[in-house]
Amino acid sequence: MTADTTSRNTPDRVDLPVGREPFHPMLVPFAIACFAGAFVTDLVYWQSVAVMWETFSDWLLTAGMIIAGLAIIAFVIDVVRGKQIRTLTWPHAVGYVLAVLLSLINAFVHSRDGYTAVVPTGLTLSALVVVILLFTAWVDRALVSRRRVGAGT
Amino acid sequence: MMHAVKIAQSVKRPRLALLLIAVAGLGLASCNYDGGDPKVQIGADPQLPALQQYLIPPIHIARVVGWGKETPTAPQGLQVYALATGFEHPRFLYVLPNGDVLVVESNGPKAPIYRPKDIVTAWVTWLAGAAAKGGNRITLLRATKGDGIPDVRTVFLDQLNSPFGVALVGNDLYVANTDAIVRYPYQEGQTSITAPGTKLTDLPGGPIDHHWTKSLLASPDGSKLYVGVGSNSNITENGIGAEYERAAIWEVDRASGAHRIFASGTRNPTGLAWEPETHKLWAVVNERDEIGPDLVPDYLTSVRDGAFYGWPYSYYGQHLDPRVQPQRPDLVATAIAPDYALSSHVAPLGVAMYTGTGLPASYRGGAFVSEHGSWDRTPLNGYKVVFVPFSGGQPSGPAQDVVTGFLDANNHARGRPVGLAVDRTGGLLIADDVGDTVWRVSSNNPRPASNN
Repeated sequence: MTADTTSRNTPDRVDLPVGREPFHPMLVPFAIACFAGAFVTDLVYWQSVAVMWETFSDWLLTAGMIIAGLAIIAFVIDVVRGKQIRTLTWPHAVGYVLAVLLSLINAFVHSRDGYTAVVPTGLTLSALVVVILLFTAWVDRALVSRRRVGAGT
Repeated sequence: MMHAVKIAQSVKRPRLALLLIAVAGLGLASCNYDGGDPKVQIGADPQLPALQQYLIPPIHIARVVGWGKETPTAPQGLQVYALATGFEHPRFLYVLPNGDVLVVESNGPKAPIYRPKDIVTAWVTWLAGAAAKGGNRITLLRATKGDGIPDVRTVFLDQLNSPFGVALVGNDLYVANTDAIVRYPYQEGQTSITAPGTKLTDLPGGPIDHHWTKSLLASPDGSKLYVGVGSNSNITENGIGAEYERAAIWEVDRASGAHRIFASGTRNPTGLAWEPETHKLWAVVNERDEIGPDLVPDYLTSVRDGAFYGWPYSYYGQHLDPRVQPQRPDLVATAIAPDYALSSHVAPLGVAMYTGTGLPASYRGGAFVSEHGSWDRTPLNGYKVVFVPFSGGQPSGPAQDVVTGFLDANNHARGRPVGLAVDRTGGLLIADDVGDTVWRVSSNNPRPASNN
């Protein structure tokens, strides 16, 4: 009862600032972690030829694709609802789209049976995705710091 | 924001180029989806194209429509009729000395989900009508009147564990469950067995049990049992450790239950038979998938003691499979090619050497082979029972279609043939695990069929 009275007195106390925040950035790091993880398990499979590691890659790519799909849906909802999407720069957009497309192809390559599910095409695609994600992050970081410098002067 | 757009444009082009190269490369790797004429892959020396790897494996299954009022078709001189219907996934047939027919109603244990792909595979299996529950039992059919139509139908053995092969030696009836050979006491004329079974030996079963059927054949003198044990994967994707004593034909000593590997490298040997002239062991074997519509041809072969037939490392002798690592050059060097290719993905699941007199004389001494039908090839292949003529203990000509009509005009499946057997009056029996029927092929020249 006390809580009700409190919220009635200050109705917008909590909701206003959080409401402007977009939802999709919460999901993106999980997808990236899955794709980066798949590269690691691919490397271990390449060196060990132990099937377990190929299976890890399969599930990491699948989980990554599902989370990426959810992130895309969340992004569309964020745009429609007019959230402030501060992080969307061109490197982000291009990098993420490429990473997701290549990972989709990679998931199919990984659905093959045996060694050629990973070596050489699967491993190459996993590595390419990690390079793209790192490059995207690096360009992004450079942009942010330049903007900050610009704002300061 | 302007900076961002500029930088993006400068980094965009090389990445796009990379993507195009990757997609183009994959495109090249996945062209030629349609298979060629299966005829060039039938016989002793099949044409083997270069292998290809897919981005998305081609799945082409026949949707199940059932038989309705239709029946399979056979060439002139033969007729086909339903001996009995209403089974639960009949897979294998065995004819007892008194003429009783045993129908093994069975399906594999539930496949575990180890990889994301297994979810898709389970769905495809369901679409193909191959996920139907098996009866896990053996039904006995007996015809007591002169018309050859069974009028006695009993549950012969129940509560089995994915049974497939059956063999009778004297008064010992052996059933090959997916995980063990079990012996039951049998007296001629019995219509059901209630006595508990005795395990003769374990067989490789779960937890994966990818190819679950265990075919069974007794040696003519009754001292040995031969068991066809399929691989635990398409091509070692479950690890080579899961393949221990699999993809092999076992020789089991009937007295002690001890076994040795009689032949190996046979991916899935689903049917075994004795060649009547030379008394050698023959088998039908299902070869590997997903390297092209015309690779690798399934085959019918004599089984040589101690021979290695290539799986998983190679096929048809020394054709290496790049999906298997580490390779075993020492084994590949010893790999021999099988005797007779049946063409790719036909899925031969049953073989019967014909020694009866009920069918026209041209069938004597040859092999009937049931082709369950392809699921990963366009156009479809198999879905019929063929006849391979033999002479001097070796196949002597191209395979001829004998029983067809398992596909309708729209390439939908009315049924799929599995186990074959020859009954006491020389009729050919066919188990149909999608139509849930046992078909009988006989000569249509009037001939009194007396099963008693």
